[in-house]
Formats: sequence, C-alpha cells, structure tokens
Amino acid sequence: MTKRALSGLRIIDLSQGIAGSYCTKLLSGFGADVIKVERPGTGDRMRALGPFCRNEEGLETSIPFLWFNTGKKSVTLNFETEKGVELLKRLSEVADVIVEDVSPGITSSRGLNYEVLRKTHPGLIMTSISPFGLTGPYSNYNAEEIELNALSGGMYMTGDPQKAPLAAGPALYQYTAGQHAYIATLMALFQRGSRGEGQQVDVSTQESGLEHIEITLSYQLQQKKNGKRGGHLFVPWGTYECRDGYATVISMPYRHWHRSADLFEDPRLFGKKYAGLRDRMALREEYEEILKPCVKARGKRELFHEGQARNLAFGYVAGIDEVLGSPQHRERGFFEEVDHPVAGKHQYCGAPFKMSETPWQTASAPLLGEHNADVYGGVLGCSPEEMQQLADGGVI
Amino acid sequence: MKKSPPLKGIRIIDLSHSWAGPHCARLLGDFGAEVIKVEYVKRLCLLRGACKQAAVYNAHPGWLQVNRNKYSITLDLKVEKDRDILRDLIKVSDVLIENSRFGVMEKLGFGYTDAVKIKKDLIMLSMAAFGKTGPYASYSGYGAVFESVGGIQSLTAYEKNGKPVRIKELDVTNGLAGASAVMTALVHRQKTGEGQYIDLSQLEAATHGLIGEHLLEFAMNGTSMLPLGNRHRTFAPQGCYRSLGDDKWITLTIRTDEEWRSFCDVTSHPEWKSDARFATREARTRNHDLLDVMIEEWTGRHTHLQAMQILQGMGIPSGAVLDAEEIRNSVHLKERAYFMNEEDSGMLFMGMPFTLSGSEGRISRRGPELGRDNEYVICELLGRSKKEVRPMQEDQIGTAYDPE
Repeated sequence: MTKRALSGLRIIDLSQGIAGSYCTKLLSGFGADVIKVERPGTGDRMRALGPFCRNEEGLETSIPFLWFNTGKKSVTLNFETEKGVELLKRLSEVADVIVEDVSPGITSSRGLNYEVLRKTHPGLIMTSISPFGLTGPYSNYNAEEIELNALSGGMYMTGDPQKAPLAAGPALYQYTAGQHAYIATLMALFQRGSRGEGQQVDVSTQESGLEHIEITLSYQLQQKKNGKRGGHLFVPWGTYECRDGYATVISMPYRHWHRSADLFEDPRLFGKKYAGLRDRMALREEYEEILKPCVKARGKRELFHEGQARNLAFGYVAGIDEVLGSPQHRERGFFEEVDHPVAGKHQYCGAPFKMSETPWQTASAPLLGEHNADVYGGVLGCSPEEMQQLADGGVI
Repeated sequence: MKKSPPLKGIRIIDLSHSWAGPHCARLLGDFGAEVIKVEYVKRLCLLRGACKQAAVYNAHPGWLQVNRNKYSITLDLKVEKDRDILRDLIKVSDVLIENSRFGVMEKLGFGYTDAVKIKKDLIMLSMAAFGKTGPYASYSGYGAVFESVGGIQSLTAYEKNGKPVRIKELDVTNGLAGASAVMTALVHRQKTGEGQYIDLSQLEAATHGLIGEHLLEFAMNGTSMLPLGNRHRTFAPQGCYRSLGDDKWITLTIRTDEEWRSFCDVTSHPEWKSDARFATREARTRNHDLLDVMIEEWTGRHTHLQAMQILQGMGIPSGAVLDAEEIRNSVHLKERAYFMNEEDSGMLFMGMPFTLSGSEGRISRRGPELGRDNEYVICELLGRSKKEVRPMQEDQIGTAYDPE
C-alpha cells in the first residue's frame, strides 16, 4: 500500500472560494480525509461558477469545482437549522482541522467559533482565510480577485506604464493564500504533534499577497524607494515578438551571455559598447532596437532550445494547447487522467511536486452529498432512521 | 502568552540561491527553524548585487528581507576540506534545500543517494527549474521562463489577442510550493521517523499553483476564457479606473443587479437604474465599454481611497491600487500591527504572511553579513577547532554579475 504523508487526518472543509479549496485540495492530495460541507440542493458556491464541462451548466460540471476539489468527500448540511449546527459541532469534534474562507466567521455567527470549540476539543486546528484578516478597518471589506491584486501591491507594477495597471489573469492572490493556509495548517499540526494542542490560523489574503512584492516593499521600508510599472530592470530580460509568437530572452546567467554571440545575426549585440549589463541598461532602447529584428526573424521553440543549449535561461510563450502537449510534462507524467461520473475522463495536473516516499494522488471531485451515508452513518454513527429524518427536515 | 514557534528545533541547510529557494527557507526560518545559508564567496547570490564592497553586498534591502532569520557560512565545495564541513553539518540537520544546475550536487557528492548516507532521515528538497528528469532536466530558468513556458503568461493581457503580459516573478509561488513540500515531509517524518527526497519542478509547481483550472478547461472544452484584461468572466462591470491624482487607480466589481442599483445611487445617477442597457448582468457585459467611460467619470472625481471607502460602504468590492509607499502607510495594516521590527535594531520589516494563535513568527535578525556565522557553525555546532575558521578573503569575492 502506498504511504500517504497526511493519512489519518480528518479535515472539515467549509471553504467556498479558491483559497480554502486549494488548501484542502493539497491536504487531500497528500492523504488527508477531507470532507467538504455543502449546502443541500445548491452546494458549494463554486459549483455555480463556469466555465462548465462541455459547456453543460450543472451542479456536477463546473470546471473550477472539479479542479479545486479533487479527492475530497462531500456531505450536505444546512447551517440555517438548529439540527444542522448541532451536526456541524459533532463533525468538528471528530476533526483535526476545520478550514473556512467565507467572510470571516461563518462558524462564529453560529456559536461555533474556535474559542468555543476548543473547550471540548483542545487539539482542534482552525484555519480561517479572509480577504483582509479577522481584525482591522478592512476586515468587513468585500473583494474579488482584482481587488486583492489592487490592495496587495502587485497590480500597480503590472502592465504598461502608459495604460491602467493590469490584474493577473490567473487567481494569483487566492492561490497564494491557499498555499499559505496549507503551510500554516501543517505547522500547526506539526506543533500539535509535539504538544497536543491545536491553534487558530489567521490568513489575510492581502498580507499573504504582499509576499509577492517582498523585494520592492523592502526597498520602500528601508530606502523609501517606490516600485514602478513596466518591464524588468535588466536588459535583455523579457518577452519579444518572434516569427511565430513570443520568445523570452534573458541575459542570465550573465557569464554565459557574452559567449553566445552566435545566437543572433547582428554582431553589435555582443559588441564592446554593450558588453556590460550596466551598459545595456543605460542604452536600453537603442539595444532593444537592435535585438528586436533579430528575435523577430526566429522561431520561438528554436530560440528556446538554442539559448538553453548555451546555458541561457530562455523561454517562449506557450499557449495552453502547447502546455498540454509539452514533452517535458509528458515524460514526467505531470498530467493524470481522472474519471468523473458526470464529466468523464480528462487530463488534470497531478502532483505539485514529487515526493519519493509519500506520493501525491489525484482522485475525482465528489458529487453533491455523495458521502452523506459514509460520514453521517459511518463516522458519526447516525442510524438510517435518523438520517432519513435529517433529510426530511432539510438538514442534509 | 505566546509559545515557542512551531519549527523550533528544526535545522535547515539552505544551499539555494536567487529568490524561490531562499524564500522557501526564509518562511520556515520566520516560524522558528534554524536556517544556515551556505554561500560561495567566488560567486555571491544574485541578491547580493554586483558590487564587491561589503558595505554594499551586505546591505541590499532585498537580501536583508529574503534571507532574514538566517545564518551565513562560506564554503567552497570544490575543496575537500569544505565538503567535509558540509557533511558534518548535514549530520546535525533535518532539511537540505538546493536549486543547483543539473548534476552539480551529484558531482560534489551531495546528491540524495550520497546525502542520505550521511543522515538517514534527511529531508532533501531539490527545486530545479524543470525538475530532475525529462528532456528539459538540464535547462535553467527564472520566473520569466516558467511563466512563459508554463502557459501562465498567455492568460494575462489587456485584451483577448493582445501581447501577453508578465505578472512578475513567480519565485514566491515556487518558494511556497517548496515550503509546502518541506512541511508535508516533516509531518510524515514526525509520525514515522522517515525522511525523503522531493523533486520539485518549478515549472510544474507554478502551473499547479496558478492555472490548474485553466488547463482543465482546455482539456475539457478546447477553449480558454482568458485573457480578459481587467474584466471578470461572469460579473459586469469590473475594471480598473483612473481616480484623482497622478497614476492613481481604483478597481471595482459589480456582482449583482442589486449592487448595480446601489452603485447608481452612490454615484448620483438614479436614471441608470431604469436604463435597459444596464439592467442585467448580460446587458452590462454587452455595454461594458460605455459603462467604463461612465464609471471613470465618477472615479476621476475621487481619490482612490475615498472611492473605495464609499463603495465598500455599500458592500461593493472595490480596491485602491496601492503602490509600495501607500502599503507602508496603510491604516489597515498599521491597525493589524502587520509590519515588524528586527528584534535588536528595530529595523522595519514586512510582517508574517499568516498568524498562529498559539505561537508566533519572529524577525530575530536581518539577512546575514557574508560569512558572519562561520565560527558559530564550525566551532559551536560542529565542535571543531577555531583554527579551521578562515578569515574572509576579500580578494576572492566574485558576484553573479561578473563576466566569468
């Protein structure tokens, strides 16, 4: 049997957003038993969000839901009922960790805050993710991903200086908060392992996101310098148009650059005038005017491989189709086939990193309420009659 | 009373350079691990800059931040005597982090198969650009490379077929994947006593931790909704609008018809509420360009902070686009006591990315001076004689920016 790093841990997943769901996806992939608690009838908020598999809108076809909930169990539970709250309390008593990311304290409004729960269950760990933290003047502020971009400082520096700041396409800040929540949860579990007591984790997505500009922000804190919008400081270091798309041309590691004069047609690029990085930075526009037609004449993959053959960290802008067909991904088995009863068989990203003894496993996302019997019957010991009552009463 | 930090008693050797690997070790150090950074005098880390004067390479703010809470020892692993010191250090450590070029660790005798012979339950994290196997195993990369080759960059642009824009470095994303790997391995070791090897491909980790759902969308439907510029795939309007002042901007997102009607009230345009062009989400999506002009007319009359306060007061998601100086002065962050001081000097630092109720992160020291802890490591940790601690040889110093 495969060893799992987090086997034996039970997680109650109350999250509805990307941050909490990515955190619990990681917990599940490394072996924890993650039970997602969803509203009866409509389920996790993410189930209503497209895009949908085959563009068929439905509870079981939301692509974000299918990705962020791999390997989890699903139970339904109505928080609005007294019985529901009682059931959630019973679930928390058999859990190691509760993860929540809905506006701070959905649980506390129902008398289920960490301080209450720990009295009967001192080992419990509660991971609370919110846009701006549980305290402070913005703690009740609402945010979608673009607002997190704005308030975490990255957006101001992204895009064209002549245009508006640009938000990242992917959900960068919610993912980052999810990663921090995972790390923090494991730190709490690690500490509990030695002293037996749990604790509450407070992840402010804004503060988590500030890490992305830690270098810029340090220059501000210590030298009052401000970051700007635009390209990289170094030359060349960026995306240039080429024959069939865009190439990433980087003059690093620096010591390999001047030995690569055979890379481009124009000998001036490696001439004395531009020999030092400082020379090129001082003459940025002039240098890029020489470089651009040289790159434009080349194919993106050809340039990628030729640069790398000279030890230079080149790249090219790959479309999503090209990523799915990447020979590197294929050879390393990065994509894994997952079979879902409604969506069918598809390729998903597998392990975020490869662990030699306790490998990652990918399993399909659950159907809404698929594990009610397993969890309420198997774990909490509810009788079939009791479960029928709960279902009839709209509790599950 | 706060208790001891969670990773107290864990010792980490940080052989990595640049940003992603050092960021990973920094976060673990913030929460109590003892991190020992091994530096090579003849080629200093990129973050120590291009200048060979100690007053400069020891003082770059980026260095002080990314390597805070770390000790520094200088070793030349091409020399057997120094390799022997590293072997001794591995014996008393828990985790080894590296991001060297393909084959370098093996050549030096510190590949995992060798390292695990030195310390049986060692956790070793390799953070190669493209991973340790596969046709690109020998290729190198920085954030710009993973972002482009990984498909991430293709999803960010001002408009559908516009030039792909970089989000910026992905070092933090990859550093966090590294810290996730180390924590997963530590939890397993605590339970079983078993160490392990982690092959982290920065290409894969960044892809997994940013665009998994977009790859799945393409695998399922053969299309991608991104890029969308500053707009939302479902909600409308959403955008980034000019506000009062030079290069000052504000974002807002209207998620529901109700929020739209609140927006009309707050901007003193009740007539928009009955305008069929904006009545539903679909209609607002169709007329987004027109809405952008109308919205900017209002935001342009307010500072970004005022506009945010007004809109958030109505429950509408809105964010002032803050620059670094505004973040430093943020009232919210101040009230949360986010920023921290170095314990002895009071030097100002960023705080913790998360807090734990029963323990705490710390900034016991800024990024170390080169070789500052040679004596601590060699004599105190390894019990060797003081004679083995060589004085710093300034003429040996080389930087990552030297031509050779």
